[in-house]
Amino acid sequence: ASQQLVGVVGLEVHAQINSNTKLFSGSPVRFSAPPNSLVSFFDASLPGTLPMLNRRCVEAAVMTGLALNCTINKKSYFDRKHYFYADLPAGYQITQQRKPIAVDGVLTYSYFGEKKRSQMIRKSVQIKQIQLEQDSGKSLHDDDRSQTLIDLNRAVGLMELVMEPEMKSGEEAAAAIRELQLILQALGTCQGNMSGQLRVDANVSVHRPGEPLGIRTEVKNINSIRYLARAIYEIQRQIDAVQSGRAVQNETRAYDSKSVPMREKEGLQDYFMPEPNLPALIVYEDNASLPTGIDPSQAVVVQKIKDRLPELPGVKRDRLVQTYGILPEHSFTLVNEDGLMEYFETLMKTTQREPRKVIGWVTNELLGHLKQRDMSVSQPISPAHLAELLKLQETGRISSSAAKQVFQEMWRSGGKTAWQIVQEQELGLVHDSAQLHSICQKVVDSHPDEVHAVRNGNKKVLNKLIGLVQKETKGRADPVLVKEILQ
Amino acid sequence: EFIRKLWEGLLVQSKPPLTSHFPFPAQIPPDLVDKLERLALVDFRTKQGLECLEKAIRFADQLHVVDTTGIEPMDSVLEDRALYLREDTAVDGGCAEELLKLSRKTVEEYFVVPPGNIPLPKKEERSSMLKHSEL
Amino acid sequence: MLGLTLKEVSLAFREGRISPTELCRKCLNRIKKTQHLNAYITVTDELSLTQAQESERRLQRGVPKGPLDGVPFAVKDNFCTKNVRTTCASRMLKDYVPPFNATVVQKLLDQGAVLMGKTNMDEFAMGAGSTDGAFGPVKNPWSYTEPYRTLAGPEADWVIAGGSSGGSAAAVASLTSYLALGSDTGGSTRNPGALCGVVAFKPTYGLLSRHGLIPLVNSMDVPGILTRSAGDASVVLSVLQGVDVRDSTTVPAPSSHAELPEEFDVRNLCVGIPKEYHALGLSPDTRAQWSRVADLFEAAGARVEQVSLPHTQHSIVCYHVLCHAEVASNMARFDGVEYGHRSSMDSSTEAMYATTRHEGFNDVVRGRVLSGNYFLLKQNYQHYFVKAQKVRRLICDDFRRVFASGVDVLLTPTTLTDAARYGDFTQEDNRTRSAQEDVFTQPANMSGLPAVSVPTALSSRGLPIGLQLMGKALDDHRLLAVAQWMERQVGFPSIGVHDDYRQCSDTSSTVQTSA
Repeated sequence: ASQQLVGVVGLEVHAQINSNTKLFSGSPVRFSAPPNSLVSFFDASLPGTLPMLNRRCVEAAVMTGLALNCTINKKSYFDRKHYFYADLPAGYQITQQRKPIAVDGVLTYSYFGEKKRSQMIRKSVQIKQIQLEQDSGKSLHDDDRSQTLIDLNRAVGLMELVMEPEMKSGEEAAAAIRELQLILQALGTCQGNMSGQLRVDANVSVHRPGEPLGIRTEVKNINSIRYLARAIYEIQRQIDAVQSGRAVQNETRAYDSKSVPMREKEGLQDYFMPEPNLPALIVYEDNASLPTGIDPSQAVVVQKIKDRLPELPGVKRDRLVQTYGILPEHSFTLVNEDGLMEYFETLMKTTQREPRKVIGWVTNELLGHLKQRDMSVSQPISPAHLAELLKLQETGRISSSAAKQVFQEMWRSGGKTAWQIVQEQELGLVHDSAQLHSICQKVVDSHPDEVHAVRNGNKKVLNKLIGLVQKETKGRADPVLVKEILQ
Repeated sequence: EFIRKLWEGLLVQSKPPLTSHFPFPAQIPPDLVDKLERLALVDFRTKQGLECLEKAIRFADQLHVVDTTGIEPMDSVLEDRALYLREDTAVDGGCAEELLKLSRKTVEEYFVVPPGNIPLPKKEERSSMLKHSEL
Repeated sequence: MLGLTLKEVSLAFREGRISPTELCRKCLNRIKKTQHLNAYITVTDELSLTQAQESERRLQRGVPKGPLDGVPFAVKDNFCTKNVRTTCASRMLKDYVPPFNATVVQKLLDQGAVLMGKTNMDEFAMGAGSTDGAFGPVKNPWSYTEPYRTLAGPEADWVIAGGSSGGSAAAVASLTSYLALGSDTGGSTRNPGALCGVVAFKPTYGLLSRHGLIPLVNSMDVPGILTRSAGDASVVLSVLQGVDVRDSTTVPAPSSHAELPEEFDVRNLCVGIPKEYHALGLSPDTRAQWSRVADLFEAAGARVEQVSLPHTQHSIVCYHVLCHAEVASNMARFDGVEYGHRSSMDSSTEAMYATTRHEGFNDVVRGRVLSGNYFLLKQNYQHYFVKAQKVRRLICDDFRRVFASGVDVLLTPTTLTDAARYGDFTQEDNRTRSAQEDVFTQPANMSGLPAVSVPTALSSRGLPIGLQLMGKALDDHRLLAVAQWMERQVGFPSIGVHDDYRQCSDTSSTVQTSA
């Protein structure tokens, strides 16, 4: 029997470099500005203008390369990639095709498995290269008037990261991108917002293991991690197509749920030429390898950048596990959600409870509510308030189930403290033994059969009695005490 | 005289041009002609234009008599120079009006083009389209 | 006054013998009188007078900016000049007005030089005759001088000015400017310089900024300087050289004086004669001049020896491939969207681009773009482009070896012959012509070395012949010193002030010739 068809996903990521100015000109980089107001003569491709390389972009690329375990090429080159498009005024893009600044890296990522949701699967994907290149301008299509408006503000510096096609599913791809996002944000080299600053194109194909890769379908401009996971749909579609004998066309599809083809590729290949206006880009290994008399502003030193690397997500996670003794799965969730780690650490400062007891509140209760409402960690419940709730639970003032109720109410009310709610709703545990005693007596008296069963050794029925007591007390009875009394 | 001898010696040594060694004209198949026109968005216009290309290729073919084993290609005579790195401070931009003034057609503050992603028409149509546009 | 060198005029200003505005007016008049030469595409009369007045004020206050203050100059029309039309002699840019000055233009203006206008050229600097531009061909001023007319007859055809910086060379030769900027990619400054009898200097690649020079071949283009003497060229060089942050291919200038040494001892000089430059097609007159000047060097005590640059014969082919490829790339930006000509076709972006480029480019440009694209096709890239890059290295190594062996300068012809008649020149297509005419000049562009053409004598047709000196990289100052020595030895006649032969009336001319 023939082997199962397997999906193959390769990702190409374009990350806008977080810098003040563009890659090859001194025009400012700003999120929103009037059209064409951030454009210099060079950006408009006025004849006679020449590129000037931005040092910050080089440093960003080196930093990113180091964080991804790449080899940094001490000498790298720029090339022109030619194609005609309205948002590319020069008729070519300056990129690094022959020898980019960083190669041969690895991105390690994890995600929760399908079968065992609590178990984390750890994977890695090879980074083929990281190259510096220009972004293009923006086209706004005006179909009514049959024209396209061009705004050249956007042409900022990009790092293009090419990953080897080693991933199998949209899930893996999504997890890899999420990890990359966290890394770039930690480095500060890219703000990582997927609606523009981090663009992902996926190459998807199918094959039988051992056989060569099939024809590729390209899914471009994926603008959220969730949609990326839905690229699986593409894979399924291809698998179906192949299995039912229909060939897959080499198309470029703009992402939408119907995967409508965007344009026919004309069979024209972009042609390349070295960029003659930019000599080789040289970066130095360490201070010792600097040529004498070099202006320090002209030297990008890899060792210096390495020394300045901030704490990466992987290291953060390990540190959390070490410091707090929580599980790797929990630490993963903390780092994965924006702001959650900070929340947890602040909480841990104000509470006496063990981290392992606290973590559930953060990764389940809090996160659960946040996700339901599609919110990020803003504070309907501040760490201080949550700490208070935990304290109440720990000191036995309320039961675990009551605590959960209180939490809900705290969420809904947005500001009320735990103690306020406990009092208002009379959720405090009853410790008054006399009161409990009388209730227990009542239950025992009204359920002779059960009592008889317990006396005969059936411990399970005891729980039923406890439950009845709880019903009486509206769940406010301290179960330990109840048990004692009943016995 | 040294110089006279030099000239006489040189007269003997001067070589004829090499084009005579390549009698066969380079043939360019029509689909390649079409592809070049699309890639360059420039047309050959006349048969003469095509002949010009054929001559240019034949001329370039002379390169192949040169032995370049073990020689590295040269991008620029400035190979030993390092690329200048610019500070990341904004010094340009903010001249939208000046730039838009240079363009024949703009819409508000945008440059404007007709709809894109439409491939060029076939060769015959193209020729008539271009003839029609002749100034 | 008009026939003086830059340095002489500068002195005349300071001595009060003439004022900048008077001189400016004289030059403007001369431009009008020599309009038939078609050397200028745009004459900036108002602007020049304003600048001249400012210069005059400075001189009166005793604070001239330097040796160029008040000196009229012309600029080839492929250098961007702010608010002054810059066309590259192409329909594509016929109404293009740049919003900035090229760095080299700015430097001249900062020194107080007075811009007379933008000069004519081959379209986008492609050509060796200045015959293929949208504004018509440039006529060599020597077409209308007594020597030529006497020998060729009063009804003779005019001769070409050379290219592609023909307008700039003609401007300096016809005495409408004291200095002109040209561009030199394969000889485009030296060629017209030789044919028009002026000093034409191509500095080392990277010494002068290319910011604002509309490129032909980025890895070979150099702004060229056309003047009436080597001493003038040196003054201009010292003003223009230096790193420009806007051009990443500029190199720091070696510190050197603006002035050339008054005495130059050629006994310490070794002059190389590359045997491979003895090419078929070299005219007897040119060969005779080459021999004559070599003898002059030797007689004065210089060591003159034969050297070999074995890959010379392949240089032109190599240049051809690399040039066309870069041209194809550089012309990709002309699509009518942001600037320049735009066709009225609006069915699609692609159609608009295609028609704009069809309407805007002449056949020469289109031909080079298409062949450039051919060489850059994926299937051809290694075979043609990379191969040419390898041959380029061989050519550079040839020069390196020769200069390392003790040779200081090389002496070669600049062009094969004197200026051809227009009718003869246009018998062959532009590309073939360029390939023939650039033979002696483009190796300097391939290797980035400095080179200067010095006018030596008139040919048997009464037209100028120039010889070329090539030097080591960044050795520009010494190269010009040698050139100055040479020009003092050869005594090339000045063109003098002469009347228009086209009118065929008064034939008074004051051309002085050496005995």
